[in-house]
Amino acid sequence: MATNTIRQTAQGVPPRSPSRRRGRAEARAALLFLLPAVLLVLVFRIIPLFWGFGLSLTSATATTPGEFIGWGNYLRALDDPNFRASIANAGVVLLAVPLFVTIPMVLAILIDQGVPGRAFFRSVYFLPVVLSSVIIGSIFSIVLGFNGQLNGALKLLGIPGVDWLGQSATALPVTLVIQSWSTFGMGVLIFLAGLSTVPKDMVEAARLEGAKMWQIWWHIIIPELRPVIEFSTVITTIGLLTSMFGLIYVLTGGGPGTATTVPEYLIWAAQGRLNQPAYAAALSIILFVCTGILAWLQIRIMSRNANF
Amino acid sequence: MAGAGKRQRLALRLASIPMGLLALSCLYPMFFAVNNALKTRHDYLLDRFGLATQPTLDNFAQAWTGAHLDQYFLNSVIATVGAVLLLMVVSSMAGFALASLRFPYRRFLFIVILSSLMIPVQVVLVPYMRTMVALHLINTHIGLILSYTAFFLPFSVYMMTAFYSTLPRELIEAARIDGAKLFQVWWHVMVPLGMPALVTLGIINTLNCWNDILIALLTMQKNRTIMVGISALKGQYSDQIPLFTAGIVIAAAPIVALYVIFQRRIVSGIAAGAVKG
Repeated sequence: MATNTIRQTAQGVPPRSPSRRRGRAEARAALLFLLPAVLLVLVFRIIPLFWGFGLSLTSATATTPGEFIGWGNYLRALDDPNFRASIANAGVVLLAVPLFVTIPMVLAILIDQGVPGRAFFRSVYFLPVVLSSVIIGSIFSIVLGFNGQLNGALKLLGIPGVDWLGQSATALPVTLVIQSWSTFGMGVLIFLAGLSTVPKDMVEAARLEGAKMWQIWWHIIIPELRPVIEFSTVITTIGLLTSMFGLIYVLTGGGPGTATTVPEYLIWAAQGRLNQPAYAAALSIILFVCTGILAWLQIRIMSRNANF
Repeated sequence: MAGAGKRQRLALRLASIPMGLLALSCLYPMFFAVNNALKTRHDYLLDRFGLATQPTLDNFAQAWTGAHLDQYFLNSVIATVGAVLLLMVVSSMAGFALASLRFPYRRFLFIVILSSLMIPVQVVLVPYMRTMVALHLINTHIGLILSYTAFFLPFSVYMMTAFYSTLPRELIEAARIDGAKLFQVWWHVMVPLGMPALVTLGIINTLNCWNDILIALLTMQKNRTIMVGISALKGQYSDQIPLFTAGIVIAAAPIVALYVIFQRRIVSGIAAGAVKG
């Protein structure tokens, strides 16, 4: 992704102008134009990243600077049951990635193939994506509460109520279902963009030769979508690791116990409620390494599929 | 679809049933919130499922003033409008420089800005908060505006750079021959030309800022935004669902309105961003 644009922009710039003085003035102006952007990113993101790494090697608290303790906070994470639980939960979350990718893909292909009502589906499926996770979490916390509408409806059918968000067995799966429900519209959008590049005449030719619908899907459409599938897998994974905070905060508060505590939530809890900023900083760096590897994969996939 | 067989058409028609139910489920939460917000507490306790038979706006009035949502709403408006405008200015300036001007370290600076995409708030949570404290920006609107700008900037800069690099450089040369300074070229040529992209960015960033919870939760505890306010209401008003859902409707209304009006732009802008950036 990044490399592509750089190449494109580089091509757009003609050879050196004859006037060197003007060139220097242009360079000075350019740096001034860039100054606000660079300053903001440096102050709020890049410097804090290095500062956070430094902090993670100390025993600092909210009020004292602490002292250098090397990898102590990282070693501590290995023994911390909360951290272990959060990693296990993240593992469960990541197991759901194939579903997060496949369901939108199937829906997008169906829309692309002309399912009746597709214009309506297209616009409505995206509505949950634009709503804040706070809004979605609040509404579902009512509906799924022990005295909520879902249990009320089940009762009418003679099924006993379940404390969906209050017991460990169901809290994480239910949270995941809500997360996938609230983001699948994004996946549909990405796959629809990808489907517009699948050659229509190939699909048509196969159909004229008598290929069945599932054969066309399996042998033509899905192979053609491979770059989109890879892309969607990577951004879904990054999204699941870094954008579930709002939903968990409103829906379950990480609980019951640690049932829905994922790494990003634990970082927040360690920083605030547990008052262990240095430890939180170490957890942050661990998360950064994981998402960094994924982002590197994303950039590689995107630059390989430059034309898509 | 000329050659589509009967069986395929039947399969698609069958698929449209679960797809239709899924579509209804996407509309249900907002319906649920509006419907229950119109009930009195008593009505809700009697019937949690049915339509509000005697709709009342009391809950909205009470949530707006009694639960301080008016103040929270205002805070969100200030932060969102401020950050969206600042994002437009900063990303248009940076995009202009990166796409149209020649200077040393251009590539390097582009990569520096873009690579910060890999640093979400969670990854710098503690040092970010300490930075805010050190700069006396905690609980201030300007602090939240600067934070939103910093965290939503890379994508915006990327989009403006891509947009401006499709414009011919002769434009700038022509304007400079007329004696215009580069700042004037930016303001009088690049900003108007960049408007289509800037408007799309503005809408997408409005969604980002208005919907944010984590950044506001960290830095605006004494000066809540609407989303922080709603998440706090959840605990306080758990036995007053109609009042709580009225708050939800108030918090979601601007975004739903924006989506209804600008649906095409939002969808195409986000698709472009997702696929390219």
